Amino acid sequence: MYADFLRRLARDKLAMVGLCVVAVLFFVAMFADFLAPYPPDRIDVEKILVEPSRDHLMGTDPLGRDVLSRIIHGSGVSLSVGFVAVGISTFIGVILGAASGYYGGLADRIIMRFVDIMLCFPTFFLILAVIAFLQPSIWNIMIVIGITSWMGVTRLVRAEFLSLRERDFVRAAVSQGASDLRIIFLHVLPNAMAPILVAATLGVASAVLVESSLSFLGLGVQPPDPSWGNMLTEGKDNIEIAWWLSLFPGLAIFITVMGYNLLGEGIRDTLDPRLRR
Amino acid sequence: MTSTHGPIITILLVFLILTGCDQHKATTKDPSPKTETVTSIAETESEPAYGDMIIRGTIGDASVLLPVLANDASSFDITGLIFNGLVKYDKDIQLVGDLAEKWEIADDKLTIRFFLRKDVKWQDGQPFTTKDVEYTYKTYVNPKTPTAYATDFLKVKEFRVLDPYTFEVTYTEPYAPALTSWGQGMLPSHLLEGTEITESPLKRAPVGTGPYRFREWKTQEKIVVDSNHDYFEGRPYINRVLTRVIPDPATMFLELKAGRLDQMGLSPLQYTRQTNTKWFNENFRKYKYLAFGYTYLGYNLLDWKFKDKKVRQALTTAIDRDGIVKGVLLGLGEVAYTPYKPDTYWYNPNVKKWPYDPEKAKQMLAEAGWTDTDGDGILDKDGKPFKFTIITNQGNQLRERAATIIQRDLRRVGIRVKIRPIEWAAFLKNFIDRRNFEACLLGWGIGIDPSQIDIWNSKKTGERELNFITYVNPEVDTLLDQGAATYDREKRKEYYDRFQEIIAEDQPYTFLFVSYSLPIISARFHGIKPAPLGIGYNFDRWYVPKHLQKYHIAP
Repeated sequence: MYADFLRRLARDKLAMVGLCVVAVLFFVAMFADFLAPYPPDRIDVEKILVEPSRDHLMGTDPLGRDVLSRIIHGSGVSLSVGFVAVGISTFIGVILGAASGYYGGLADRIIMRFVDIMLCFPTFFLILAVIAFLQPSIWNIMIVIGITSWMGVTRLVRAEFLSLRERDFVRAAVSQGASDLRIIFLHVLPNAMAPILVAATLGVASAVLVESSLSFLGLGVQPPDPSWGNMLTEGKDNIEIAWWLSLFPGLAIFITVMGYNLLGEGIRDTLDPRLRR
Repeated sequence: MTSTHGPIITILLVFLILTGCDQHKATTKDPSPKTETVTSIAETESEPAYGDMIIRGTIGDASVLLPVLANDASSFDITGLIFNGLVKYDKDIQLVGDLAEKWEIADDKLTIRFFLRKDVKWQDGQPFTTKDVEYTYKTYVNPKTPTAYATDFLKVKEFRVLDPYTFEVTYTEPYAPALTSWGQGMLPSHLLEGTEITESPLKRAPVGTGPYRFREWKTQEKIVVDSNHDYFEGRPYINRVLTRVIPDPATMFLELKAGRLDQMGLSPLQYTRQTNTKWFNENFRKYKYLAFGYTYLGYNLLDWKFKDKKVRQALTTAIDRDGIVKGVLLGLGEVAYTPYKPDTYWYNPNVKKWPYDPEKAKQMLAEAGWTDTDGDGILDKDGKPFKFTIITNQGNQLRERAATIIQRDLRRVGIRVKIRPIEWAAFLKNFIDRRNFEACLLGWGIGIDPSQIDIWNSKKTGERELNFITYVNPEVDTLLDQGAATYDREKRKEYYDRFQEIIAEDQPYTFLFVSYSLPIISARFHGIKPAPLGIGYNFDRWYVPKHLQKYHIAP
């Protein structure tokens, strides 16, 4: 089944572009120290806001730091925030969704109303409020994004469970006396993996965006640690004299988010039997 | 005025305006002998004319428009146009009469007798008399008044009204900052007497004696004042002053370019890179002078790491302050060595300067017991590594950049620094007030009077008091008390010279820099004459020649 899935995914050109982007990002983040031409925090007051040139392919910032090196090091921040946040939200979503869908009844109603309540909050402002209470740091950002974006996954998982729990293989497992936990995690969940995977991939894209927005507002990754969002803040302040400060971090965010979205949608299309040719 | 400051100074003044610098006119109008006009076209003499409006940009909105309650630069910027004190500083930083015609200081230096001008009227037509002065004095010393400027007035032993235009104040001991303290804005007793000042409608719609009268205040948007035709020094030329609140410096600059602002304070980058075009040279004039304020790195002296002055001297030696002036201010500032403004009378240039020398710093730290015993690249002592966090207020990019350079410099000598920008209200409440910090990067405004008791006296360490680094030095306490009790300028300077030597030796702060104020003003305004006190001192004499007038405001 997986071989079939991969073959069909490989035929989807856009999904492959997305996959390549994501793979390159991983590579860059992992080998940032080797790829970056300068240390990301190397200050050079003689070279403040230098235009892109051979020495500095993407120019320098107001402290004379190399923009390319900072973008390369910023990729690690973006990716780790994306993955950890999505890990947290998927974990919460799966647990609650599985409980809700499998048991139904009162548990289902309580969890679903809770989801409705959470969805009523404008997520971004909820995050802003929470960050204002905690101190902004990369760890807090990951956690806060994670615990405010699990609702979609919960609904997806619940829907899958609602239909799967009526299937014969589940009944068979029940009749054999398997425990609830065993049924949920070993029998039902593996069959619900596909939509979860799609939601998670798309979730990474939105987590990267949220992190950038928060850092842009000064509530995310704190300087001098490079993050694409806080680089954009400096870009905004100097947009008239240093276009490179806005363009390159902006492009990095754009390409990353697009890469994840393409990949996620590619996976979804591949898995959708109605689109199968 | 606020708009003449870069964001850095504005933020420091907005919240930590020195209680010593009651002369808000002095602190907010940026005096300096080295004022410099940068312009390509010389200002041609032309006939002064009434009319037109000036639109100024400010980063922060005013909070309250009564000088007794205000403690931020944005508020003082407006109240300075509406209110007068009894005395003021003239363009050469000499104390002259404002609402007071003259004064006499008794030989024992304990009693001052003021003679008020008799031709002054409040903007609602009532005469200004000693009754107003008495009310103002009583309001300042009333413990229920939430004012930051009571200290000077509490030194008054007796306040005697002699007649409607003469009064006398007696001090318990000679107090040199006394005269300056009467420059505080006078309040209208006929409108405030018997009311709760914190509840007064005048907080948002003040009535004063000054060159401009209040017209309109839209919170977080604009404050409008119109010229006072009955002003005792003569009607101001410019009919209206519109102060627009634009919290973002980049947006403010765009507004300036779009012609919707006449005056703002530039950042070093805007000054050096964005305003040298032909269009700017033809339409604007730039000014440049040292601001009355400095930026420093303060060490919490309750923290065991910073208790040894040898360590603090080494930290200062390890920090490349010239690099900060160059990299952060783009050269538009000077390195600070003492808490006084360079090229003012009170500044002592002969103090220990601790020039940048990383090798020497390492050696000094080793002498203080800090060495890298475990080979991890971080100095340690008693098994504890030398790591600390610098906190600063969020949104001040110049300070954050300075902190970044300090972080790099200290890493070179084996000290690990973290930088934590914190939103201002939380910064004061949870960190500064509770002494919950290791080092802080902040700024002070410098008053014209040299008394700095509130910052350095060992008794001013209580919560919300300004000696929040807990600097204790009995000799400094004595010198500052002696300085405040001495009227003789030269004698007084000796005390403050010695005080600066001790501060430079103790290094409770690493003094970082004094930056330039970089105001830019539309070229249609004439009569601006840079002086040691900056450019704002004769604002009521600025004018726009008839043929250049842009806005038509009914007088």
